[in-house]
Amino acid sequence: MMIDSTASAEISDRSASRTDTLRVAVVGLGARGIGHATALATIPGCELVGLADPRGAARRNLRGMGHTAPRYRRVEQMLEKTSPQAVFVSAPLPARAALARTALEQGCAVFLERPMATTAEQGAELVALAAEQGMPLAVAHTLAFEPVFDAARRAISSGALGKLSEARASMYASRVFSAREATRYAHGAAGGVLAHMSVDLLFVLGRMFGTPVEVRATASRLYGTLEDELHAMMTTEGGAEVGFDSSWSVPGHPYPATVIELAAERGHLLVSDDALELDLSEPSGGFPAGSTLRRIADLPQPARFDVSGEARWLEDAAFVAWVAGGSAPFNTGEAALQTQRVMEALYESAAAGGTSVSVAR
Amino acid sequence: MKRTFAAPRLLLGARSLSGVSRATRDRMIELAARYHGPESLAVTLSKALDAGAEGILATPGPGLRAALRELKRTVPIAAVLPVLDEHERREVEPSLEALIRERFPQAGFAAKWRARFAGLGAGGDWSRLVPKLIELESGAVRRRELCAVVLAEPIADCALATGHSRLFARFIKFVHGRFRVPAGIETCNLGVLLSSLAEWEIAPDFIVGPVNPAGLGMKPDRDTLLAALRRSPVPVLATELRAGGTVPLAEGARFALESGARGLVPDLVDFEDVAGELKTLAG
Repeated sequence: MMIDSTASAEISDRSASRTDTLRVAVVGLGARGIGHATALATIPGCELVGLADPRGAARRNLRGMGHTAPRYRRVEQMLEKTSPQAVFVSAPLPARAALARTALEQGCAVFLERPMATTAEQGAELVALAAEQGMPLAVAHTLAFEPVFDAARRAISSGALGKLSEARASMYASRVFSAREATRYAHGAAGGVLAHMSVDLLFVLGRMFGTPVEVRATASRLYGTLEDELHAMMTTEGGAEVGFDSSWSVPGHPYPATVIELAAERGHLLVSDDALELDLSEPSGGFPAGSTLRRIADLPQPARFDVSGEARWLEDAAFVAWVAGGSAPFNTGEAALQTQRVMEALYESAAAGGTSVSVAR
Repeated sequence: MKRTFAAPRLLLGARSLSGVSRATRDRMIELAARYHGPESLAVTLSKALDAGAEGILATPGPGLRAALRELKRTVPIAAVLPVLDEHERREVEPSLEALIRERFPQAGFAAKWRARFAGLGAGGDWSRLVPKLIELESGAVRRRELCAVVLAEPIADCALATGHSRLFARFIKFVHGRFRVPAGIETCNLGVLLSSLAEWEIAPDFIVGPVNPAGLGMKPDRDTLLAALRRSPVPVLATELRAGGTVPLAEGARFALESGARGLVPDLVDFEDVAGELKTLAG
């Protein structure tokens, strides 16, 4: 068996073969919104019909970049004038859920930045509304679309490693060394490193090991009112312990670093941004005994356009394919809601000094 | 008669110092540590020129400027502009108006004066704002050192996605007219850019983009890019020769040249022995 990212390749193939045109719009024209607009402009069968942001400078910037879609200050006006079939909501967290609700109520499919809402309750309302409207709802968890992490998830799903004993995961970056920087990343919303950076890793862990049943967490505030570091232990349904460490205030990490390491019945797996290493005590799940190494250059890179890497394009293309009648990607609103609930449990535990908290289902 | 600008054949890449590389994280950190001080970078740059590099492809940031000050000789710089640091590249919306506001106070008097006229009536249009921003940042490289101006990849690729052909045309005209050096374009979407430029009938003096046997970073896909490369009238200087460290430098360089690249930009991160390996490539 090959370690590959065939799912990603399928996304790319589906996008390339579509002949119908899907009308899409982007709300929130910050860095993420620009990323979506750029990706959408290169996905076959996509037509960017509207852009919305209350900031005139942001709208002017998109126009100056070469986007010719009409621009609007208010999302309601954009929906009315352009009738998009899908809306990408990249607005700051406090406004996100309300904008998604407006788009869903207008009969649009919605793709939301993560986290999807300020509370799990708000997220659940969005998931229920999407189901009621029969509209696709997905949430950006870009790390899960990175070919190397997708390949690791596939290796685990293949059963090659057997029963999980324990796992550790970390995400570190050198980003925040003052209260001002923390505020800049958080865009004035609650939540620090977990909500605005490592929630992506939480989602990836959920895909690999299932939603944990119980969590314990501690958080540290180094520079302001938001947590800059969060350490946690999570217990899976099978009883395995998954360690989780994240910080955006670690010196020496000019490039964000994500690592997942696990020990299981038949061997070990280590995956990082650079490579996947699998070490098996016996041949299993199509993998040979001993060490298997796959670096990023060994894995498929099916994105047709590089938008700060592979994953952003693949994620957007997967959602577009879903809205156009294809199968649902793995980052559905429902799946993201589970991650939101884990995040909420981690914050609750940290606020209570590290006591065990059950994850709501 | 229209003046022609020749593309360089061998540049030492220092883009990894600005975070632009597909090398492994450990390797990038190792590199950052090695070139933390200006002296070690200065020595390496000097050795690179002695070994046959025609210049350095780099963002003229404070680290490079400090290294250049250490040297008694002139180091030709193919300056990648606008200057976008790691944070600006990844996290901040590339709003050129905001960048211009930020760069204005740091620019010299002459650059400010010229920049006032460069983007007149721009109204947010990147094709007019890019020259203005480059004007403000060009003071970071001394004129005698400037051997080319290369449009930075985040700007080039955003404009490529939207089909903003005017931006590329104006950039080339501006660089030729203002600096009288070759105008290059850096991209992470080489195959797409080559096809688009051919369609728009726009010819920069060279393009810088990934070419390697593993196909790493070759968009829209390896085969399409290689086909576009073979028929491209625009010289391509190949980067990411080692495909994130998976192939030897000599093999990557040979593959790129055999595939139609006219020049090479091996990066600092690709070398164990800059002088020795560069000499082999130059030979």
